[in-house]
Amino acid sequence: MREQVIAILTELCPGVDFERETALIDDGLVDSLDIVSIVTELMDAFDVEINVEDLLPENFNSVDAIVGLIERAQG
Amino acid sequence: MAFTSWSFVALAAGTVLLYYWTPGRWQWLLLLAASVVFYAAGGWGSLCWLAGVIAVTWLAGLALGRLNEARRALPKGDKAALAAVKRKKKAAAAAAALLCFGLLYAMKYWDFTVDLLPASLGGRLPRWDFVMPLGLSFFTFQAVGYVIDVYRDKYAPQKNPARYALFVSFFPQMVQGPIGRYDALAPQLLAARKLDWKDLQFGIQLALWGYLKKMVIADRAAVLVDAVITENTPYGGAVIAFAMVFYCIQLYCDFSGGIDITRGVARMLGIELAVNFRRPLFATSLTDYWRRWHITLGQWMRDYLFYPLSLSKPFARLGKWARKRIGGLPGKIFATSLATFVVYLVIGIWHGANFRYIAFGLWNGTVITASLLLERRFLAWRTALRIDQASVPWRVFMTARTSLLVFLGRYLTRAPRLLTALSLLWTTVSAPRLGQLADGTLLTLGLTAGDLWVVALGALAVTVLEFFQERGVQVRESLSRRSGPLQWLALAAMLAVLAALGIFRAGYISSEFIYGQF
Repeated sequence: MREQVIAILTELCPGVDFERETALIDDGLVDSLDIVSIVTELMDAFDVEINVEDLLPENFNSVDAIVGLIERAQG
Repeated sequence: MAFTSWSFVALAAGTVLLYYWTPGRWQWLLLLAASVVFYAAGGWGSLCWLAGVIAVTWLAGLALGRLNEARRALPKGDKAALAAVKRKKKAAAAAAALLCFGLLYAMKYWDFTVDLLPASLGGRLPRWDFVMPLGLSFFTFQAVGYVIDVYRDKYAPQKNPARYALFVSFFPQMVQGPIGRYDALAPQLLAARKLDWKDLQFGIQLALWGYLKKMVIADRAAVLVDAVITENTPYGGAVIAFAMVFYCIQLYCDFSGGIDITRGVARMLGIELAVNFRRPLFATSLTDYWRRWHITLGQWMRDYLFYPLSLSKPFARLGKWARKRIGGLPGKIFATSLATFVVYLVIGIWHGANFRYIAFGLWNGTVITASLLLERRFLAWRTALRIDQASVPWRVFMTARTSLLVFLGRYLTRAPRLLTALSLLWTTVSAPRLGQLADGTLLTLGLTAGDLWVVALGALAVTVLEFFQERGVQVRESLSRRSGPLQWLALAAMLAVLAALGIFRAGYISSEFIYGQF
């Protein structure tokens, strides 16, 4: 799953080192527009529902956080 | 009660003095009393509307809090009961939002709507004769944000109506924000505090800086702007452009100056309000500009409009359609880009009921949406031309380009009508009459040569200070590490400039804050 998430992120936000970054939102590497594109792609790719309430910086600061969000959404 | 009035200075100073004499558990009541005094000075009618918004959103918060508890108490797997609770939550939140935004609509947009209708229909509809309460857009957004947060179960609602009333009505932020969030602001307002000299010192410095920007620069620039930007202005394009540059200076110093006064007064009370500006002059794109200008409104729009809209079912369906029909990256970001466009249109309309604000929203929405859709192409060009994104010339170019886009958009917000804005823009391009810049015309526009220099040097001072802040220098922190006499000297210098060039200037007429009317 991790690799697939990185592939989606890299396509939508090229030039960001998703393997290493742990403050994607806090450092402004990913903005609100990117988040919505990412969430839409993730919902499609993993067939999960991500709600507005989940759109918190801590859920998108790193690939691991995003993977955690998807896993929670999968139940 | 205008920020630039002696009565406000007396209220703020009196509140700060009494605040630290009052026992901790009563301090919030003093702030509430000061807020009532401040708002009641604008008329009891306004106070009624404010109380109405407070009552509606407080009750909605209580109802939503109970429904959140009911949802948590539900046995796992009871889908029917969960759906019923969700329905009730949606109804409670929607009712509160509709009532508050309905009032805002009636106050700001009803007469405009009636004017748009055919005379046969519009003539039969009643007009809204109430005076718009001060800061209505700001406190309505703040209160509705609270309701949505409780709806999302972000925090528990405030059960004490008086404590909640203070969150919505805290007097320094009533004129033009910043739009606060309950979880960041309320605990500060309700806490017991002891005097911290640093808070007092930083607060006074910030408020004084705000007064300097407002009363020395903005109000002075306004004289020239008001003389030039009128219907059928007799001046050539160069003078119009000069006046529009002055308007940009005026608008920034007016709005950010007001926010500095607000944040400064709050800081004197030990309260840290949300940051509303982050040096927009140094923005490298229009999107970046809106992330730095009126930040709390942008964040409100992001959290409570952009996210829900982008993730709503119609937009999800639109996104799927775009991916199939358009394909590629543009297909993937089509729906998001459209939601972005809607948000900027709403931000434009938020400014007021006028076609020029709708055009302002369309202008920003179109430029930003187009740049989103074309971003990859620009990236490819930049790579092909081997441009270093971090290089100084490139940053200067991008900043200049952004300033031009902002400058053009400002014609729409300043001109009295949309047609006038377009005519002024056309004159700027088609009939510059550059000679008017040097033949003494500028000295016939209500300002002396000295005044022009004050505005220019003031704008330069703001730019230089913000340049250092952009590079990470914390000006007030740096000053606080200097010797005591030097700190007093800085304070005295600010007061002296204010006294000489602002408040006591002969014939001075304090203008209202521009954003106060939004």
